Amino acid sequence: MRALTDEEMKTVLDKLANYMSDLKSLIAPLEDGDRYVFRLNHSRVYYVKLSIANLATSISRDALLSLGTCLGKLTKTGKFRLHITALPILAQGARHKIWIKENGAQPFLYGSNVVKAHVGRWSEDCPEHQGCVVYSMADIPLGFGVTARSTTEARRLDPTGVVCFRQADCGEYLRDEDTLFAG
Amino acid sequence: MAPTRTIKNKHAGSKSSSSSSSGPKRSSKDGIKKPSGGGGGSKGGAPKGKIPSKEQKGKPNFGQDKNKKKKARVYTEKELGIPELNMITPVGVTKPKGKKKGKVFVDDRESMSTILAIVQAEKEGQIESKLIKARQMEEIREARKAEAEKKEQERKAKLDETKELMRKKRKRSDEKNKKEDEEDDKIVKDAVMGGTKAAKAKGGNKKKTVSFAAE
Repeated sequence: MRALTDEEMKTVLDKLANYMSDLKSLIAPLEDGDRYVFRLNHSRVYYVKLSIANLATSISRDALLSLGTCLGKLTKTGKFRLHITALPILAQGARHKIWIKENGAQPFLYGSNVVKAHVGRWSEDCPEHQGCVVYSMADIPLGFGVTARSTTEARRLDPTGVVCFRQADCGEYLRDEDTLFAG
Repeated sequence: MAPTRTIKNKHAGSKSSSSSSSGPKRSSKDGIKKPSGGGGGSKGGAPKGKIPSKEQKGKPNFGQDKNKKKKARVYTEKELGIPELNMITPVGVTKPKGKKKGKVFVDDRESMSTILAIVQAEKEGQIESKLIKARQMEEIREARKAEAEKKEQERKAKLDETKELMRKKRKRSDEKNKKEDEEDDKIVKDAVMGGTKAAKAKGGNKKKTVSFAAE
């Protein structure tokens, strides 16, 4: 386990900034004087409290399976891929949101994109190909994706037209159970 | 090669040292030595006599060539500033010189917040430009739509006008035809009523008068 390098940190934050408007809250000091840090172990990036990260130094790299919240994976090409496990953090400071109706929740959780007919409402002034967090109508985050059309364009779209391309959904907890945390 | 070099150096060294001590004396001695063959001072003359003799024995012109060779300095590629061969150098292979080996970690809050601010500013700029672009595109689309609608209306108006014109024309021609038909009908009627007298029928509205010819 180690801290992130300059480049890695930039890549991770760049990806997070697609979905979040306020990144500063991520590293803001906590009330107890502690703060959150980013740690890398087996090419996975973890968002963890500094005190816990310090405790984890006593465990060897191979033996350490996971700590804190896994944000995603750094690929060998140097890119960063967000995992569904990062959803609670993304949902806290989401920049753009899409709420889907009950009839659209199941198709989304089974891995399909969001179509216009399933959208209950969406945040205004959302550009094309921008990260957005998908919520149910009861404000429960279900996953995240990338907008296929801008809000104005999406209004003109027919009901079967795709509004948001799925990136991750809560169904992955079951579907990718084997590979989500290790391997 | 090596011994001649050393000798030459010695010669040069002695010359320089002597010149520093007494310049004019040397030149006079050398001048005397060559023609006389060791008639000058015994102290300074002995080594000087040896050097030219050695040079003459081995290779007489070698010393001069050497001097020339020494002057022609061999320059390295770096010194000349010649561009390097156009070879593919992978990014990972070339490592900057003088840089410390290993990774530089970002763990302190200050550097993290600096990177964070840079990233956020970049992203904000990107999103803003995206939005502006989208708005501009929307405006262009609206303008195009309005233009298309206007054109459509104009076309429709023109079509209506033409239709109206055609209708009027048709009406006028109908009326004319009707008149002609009526006239024709009248003629036919007259002809029917008046028998075969076509000339009479031509008279039109003249009142019919009957007259008997006086016998």
